[in-house]
Amino acid sequence: MQEWQFLVPDKKHKKKFFGNLKAEVIDAKLCCHCAACAAICPVDGIVSGDQPIDFPNWVKECVDCGACIKVCPRWEYKPLKGIGNYIEAISAKSKRFKGQDGAMVTEITATALEMGLIEKAIFVSRDEEWRTKIVTIRSPVQLYDRKVTGTKYSYADVLPALKDAVIESKAVAFVGTPCMISAVRKMQKSFKKFERVKLAIGLFCTENFYHHQLSEFLAKKGVDLRLATKTDIKKGKFIVRFVDGGRVSFPVKEFEEIIPSGCKVCQDFAAVESDVSVGSVGSESGFSTVIVRSEIAKKVIDQIREKGTAEIKEPDIQAVQKLCEYKVKIHPYPSKEKEKTQ
Amino acid sequence: MKVEKISRSPLEELKRHVGVIQEAFKQAVIPDRVTIEYPRERRKYPENLRGFIVLDKSRCISCFRCAQICPANAIQMSYFENFYPGIDYTKCIFCHFCVESCPTGALASSTLHDMAFKSLEDMKVKPNQMMRLPAAIREDVQSVEYDVTKKGWRLIRKMELEDIKVVRILPKLKPRRAFCLEPESCLGCRQCMEVCPHEAIVMERCEITLEGQIVGKGCVLKITEKCVGCGLCVRQCPMKILSLKEVE
Repeated sequence: MQEWQFLVPDKKHKKKFFGNLKAEVIDAKLCCHCAACAAICPVDGIVSGDQPIDFPNWVKECVDCGACIKVCPRWEYKPLKGIGNYIEAISAKSKRFKGQDGAMVTEITATALEMGLIEKAIFVSRDEEWRTKIVTIRSPVQLYDRKVTGTKYSYADVLPALKDAVIESKAVAFVGTPCMISAVRKMQKSFKKFERVKLAIGLFCTENFYHHQLSEFLAKKGVDLRLATKTDIKKGKFIVRFVDGGRVSFPVKEFEEIIPSGCKVCQDFAAVESDVSVGSVGSESGFSTVIVRSEIAKKVIDQIREKGTAEIKEPDIQAVQKLCEYKVKIHPYPSKEKEKTQ
Repeated sequence: MKVEKISRSPLEELKRHVGVIQEAFKQAVIPDRVTIEYPRERRKYPENLRGFIVLDKSRCISCFRCAQICPANAIQMSYFENFYPGIDYTKCIFCHFCVESCPTGALASSTLHDMAFKSLEDMKVKPNQMMRLPAAIREDVQSVEYDVTKKGWRLIRKMELEDIKVVRILPKLKPRRAFCLEPESCLGCRQCMEVCPHEAIVMERCEITLEGQIVGKGCVLKITEKCVGCGLCVRQCPMKILSLKEVE
């Protein structure tokens, strides 16, 4: 005979737990589309993908376990801000890989795989039309694919894939936006199995888009994503580079209408809760800023230094700090619209 | 490849004819074929025969474990009163994984393995047919046995007939029980409880209202003595934290 205990969180409304989540997070326009709830849902009822999070038949099918609430980073939301604690910050460029800037996410993953710290890593690849696609990286060779590296600016179902990976293997890494990192930290707090996520690589993030909205918006501007080789946001401009070498850019302000509401209340730019944060801000072109926050990430960076697989420089940490403050300014919480209505 | 020209001289022709007649006589007297002339001949069954599978309906708990484990995908569960397994012998490879894995010993081997059917439809055995022991139809006049040497295979024929008793071989049951490996990862979804055919997993210190909602905190899930180790909960658990463990 064996018995064990599980905790049930408090409800705010007299509904099943998904009803609570829907009322407090999704309908309150706080949902950041990290898909943590879709990953944890024991009946696989919560759907994510290229649409707002939903549970089509929750009144009937929700088993009322409360797992989605336990992992939601926006349940009882307290925005994280600033640059956070860190052990060291460097500016680096990989010598082996090509990526968005310095390909440091790729380099860190490859080194961690080579060191045996992780068994696999969850990455986001893309198809011809820049739809996101999850790939599991088991060996550094897979990282030479240019579709795997580089930023996509669309929501991806990283966390459902991460849950499967966690069940299968003992040490997993993943790359995600700050909200995904926060969600994984909440998962680790509630469910021991997620301690198998050994390395959480956070990305500097201001906002993310739904793929259909982004591609429609760009199509209206006459940009065919099928011909694009790289998308980038630099100095307030969204830049698309093409196969033939051409490039177009638009001010990010024009994207205001398609920024999902959940991103508009997010103030975490530098992925405060990650093991290591990576982004272009604070480094010159072709280099990435790497903010090392935990021991395991420090080990990986030391290995990179020792092996000399990356060029390392001093970063401009002031620039990162400035963007952190800027994100807090442009994404106020509680949002101004909400205050007006109250 | 070059084909040699066959000599057409009368002497050679005669030599070949004699050869053919000689071989025909030899085959008529001591044939060296290795196939068994079923049903005139019947191979002597070895001791650890894996024969037709019989079902004890009263023991079956509809856990689908046999259907799940079958490597040939030969088991289909069909419904009458409850779900019971039926075996498609066109697919069955007689590995007896189903017999081995059956937690309650509802499936057992019989001592008959006559893979002879009148039609393909007959080979798809339904659960109610599986509950009967298969009947041995005897038309054999001699029993045969294989003699395998390094040189080759040979059939040994004996006139004495084997006495065939079709019985159920009782499977050795390994009692197993569900076990939670990592209670700290439990989601609290209670699907294990829902799926359990014996109501062996129970929840305590929690109240569930009419609308199916949980009231109260710190609910306790318990695996009780009723567990027969069917493994349904193990398959259902979304976090894969349950496992089967052998018990003495």
